[in-house]
Amino acid sequence: MKQEILLGNGAIALGLLEAGCQVVTSYPGTPSSEILPEVIRLVKSENLNTYVEWSTNEKVALDNAFAASIAGKRAACCMKQVGLNVAADSLMSAAYLGTKGALMIISCDDPGPHSSQTEQDTRFMARLAKVPVFDPSTPEEARKMIRVAMDMSEEFRIPVILRPAIRVCHARQGISYGELKENRKKGKFEKDPMRWAATPRFRLILHGELNRKLREIGKKFETLSDYNFHTLETGKKYLFGIVAGGVPYAVIRDILTDQGRDDIPVLKIATPFPFPEGLAATFMEACDRILVVEETDTLIEYLLRDREKILGRLSGHVPSEGELVPGVIRETLNRTLEELDIEPLDRGPDHAITELVKSLNLPVRKPTLCPGCPHRAAFFAIRKSKPKAIFTSDIGCYTLGLNLGAVDTCLDMGAAITLASGFYHSFSQDGLDQSVVATIGDSTFFHSGTAGLLNAVYNGARFILVILDNLTTAMTGMQPTPALGIRADGTEGKAVSLERMAAGCGVDFIEVVDPYDLNKMGEVLKKAGEYINEPEGGIAVIIARHPCLIAYRDEAIPERKKVKITEDCAECNFCIERFECPAIYHDQELGRTNINAQVCSGCGVCLSICPKGAIVEAA
Amino acid sequence: MNKFNIVLCGLGGQGILFMTKVLAQAALRKGWDVLGAETHGMAQRGGSVVSHLRLGRVQNSLVETGTAHVLFALEEDEGYRNLPFVAPGGRLFVNTSSTAFPREEIRGYLTEKKIVCRAVPAVSIATAMGAALSSNLALLGYFSAAGDGPFDHADLRATIAEVSPDRFREANLRVFDAGFEKAMEDKGD
Repeated sequence: MKQEILLGNGAIALGLLEAGCQVVTSYPGTPSSEILPEVIRLVKSENLNTYVEWSTNEKVALDNAFAASIAGKRAACCMKQVGLNVAADSLMSAAYLGTKGALMIISCDDPGPHSSQTEQDTRFMARLAKVPVFDPSTPEEARKMIRVAMDMSEEFRIPVILRPAIRVCHARQGISYGELKENRKKGKFEKDPMRWAATPRFRLILHGELNRKLREIGKKFETLSDYNFHTLETGKKYLFGIVAGGVPYAVIRDILTDQGRDDIPVLKIATPFPFPEGLAATFMEACDRILVVEETDTLIEYLLRDREKILGRLSGHVPSEGELVPGVIRETLNRTLEELDIEPLDRGPDHAITELVKSLNLPVRKPTLCPGCPHRAAFFAIRKSKPKAIFTSDIGCYTLGLNLGAVDTCLDMGAAITLASGFYHSFSQDGLDQSVVATIGDSTFFHSGTAGLLNAVYNGARFILVILDNLTTAMTGMQPTPALGIRADGTEGKAVSLERMAAGCGVDFIEVVDPYDLNKMGEVLKKAGEYINEPEGGIAVIIARHPCLIAYRDEAIPERKKVKITEDCAECNFCIERFECPAIYHDQELGRTNINAQVCSGCGVCLSICPKGAIVEAA
Repeated sequence: MNKFNIVLCGLGGQGILFMTKVLAQAALRKGWDVLGAETHGMAQRGGSVVSHLRLGRVQNSLVETGTAHVLFALEEDEGYRNLPFVAPGGRLFVNTSSTAFPREEIRGYLTEKKIVCRAVPAVSIATAMGAALSSNLALLGYFSAAGDGPFDHADLRATIAEVSPDRFREANLRVFDAGFEKAMEDKGD
């Protein structure tokens, strides 16, 4: 047995391999990004034959895993919760078609949200798609649950969803495990067009089959007592009980144990769909009032039938947005207990210290682009060159270009391009000439840029698209992009060129420039601006290419420059506000703008930004 | 003692995750159940970073406010921000060279709650050892002299030797030792 402190995503990877998963696909996204790398680490150390890939997006990942499944293999695909939106088309249909080998979709939720556009609840996507969902409370539970879920997937020939929330994915836990065995099952596809290529008439039949599967699985969930259970004593009646699932269950369990509150029974629901109705009915019957604590939405609350008894989000007892951290749950619980005239917990949160800390007026630390980040240079040049443009942008580190006033929109993956064309047409319809500059990262462009670009070209939109190519997927932890020709496991793949992709979408103006060279970048932007206004013009694509400093520590800045601020500085704050480099700051003690040499990357881009020329190279 | 809660805070890139890893690994070696929570993604880009570590039989990875036995802060303001986590009688180790630490406004609270507060010039210690970016290890070295909870100096040192990448091992230990020495000096005063 090995004992290791694994990231929750590592425990999930372990669970997949223990369950004999032969194919794992993924598109990175917080909090799911580390699952695939952890699978790869274990596959290498245990010498397994599992196929892994970074797919270009979540739908692609799910489709690839689905194919493996209907070829009889055990397959999984991993993504963040908003990634499941991208894969939703595939998911809904796959539920009807069914599977052959086990198929697990791992969709990681982000209550908070810490690093997402929404706080959406994957459990509702499972309900919508009519697919069973497993909601683990801890990394260890996620790991164990995976085998149960995959066996069930195979038994009922249905895709299953695992919904770990961020506190499972990014928890760390000491976990013991034995040797991993290879699943040697060979792929075999049995043709069955009525199923795998079902037309609407057969879809109706498949829908009936899916409903029957769910009824059977619902019965199974009633007795899945390692994961769904209650702490009622037989025959006893209670004034108050708690129904909880996922991470909130772990919090409730710790609070009640810590306080020795055996008088409050708990029903744990780890499989909220199909809902274990019988188990819930038993619990409901034994308790007068019930508090439902779940993340992030109200699935269990909707599914519990006796509305008179239920307290939760709909009754205003549980906050409807934000993460249910322990302090929030304790406060919720205490307020509810007091309202019901039941002895509260012995300690509430200390609001005095929270107020005291608030009164200190601590600096708010917003996330910023790293010192030396090539995106900063690109954004600075864009804003300088096109001050009146609408800046559509996208999902990635570069969303932080909003700190430089060079990002106006961020909707979803690929929307930099689709919003740019949408804006163009909205204004051109009115005869107005509104310039639009779209910025999108390299990986995001591969993910969902091309459909939008193709559409924009075809429909005659005119705007400048800057592809911020830092040669990696930076935000989610430096996964390789298709442009590098390096695959997930480090083996060689075929490199796909961004230039050729853009050309393939019908773009005629494509220029590659290093954004560190602000003058050159400015010239190219000017040329692009002229091109989009020419009668024969169209969309201008600029590929701003410079390696990410985190991913390419040594190559990113071949020659480090030491910079200083001279007496010419007028303290106009232009550099601080418009360039927003963490290394340039106003020194309170010196009473002047200064460079923090510890923070400075030595990129030297700031040498050409000061209107007074006061930022110079130090000797 | 059957449960021990630690919160570590600072800014992205200061080495909070490595520090957490060392503490978690050291506790695991002593047979503790280990459960922690980390910050990844957007929040890592220069923002406030908080890491939680819970030892003992628990299921939830987050430390509740008012229950941390130890708070490590690699940056002074982040230390104040996370002060609500510290339990009465808990300990606070802050990387700061400020002589005005702790701020006047919170001194009453610290005294009332019997929170022990140590200002550690971790950046200067690390810089003097030629590893300016390793203030996390200086702070850990300082803490190791106090021998709080399941940790002692020798355990932590052995764990750092174990988990450091080869090329950083020697430098890491040097900074850790210097932090420890500083704590011993302070004790002597």
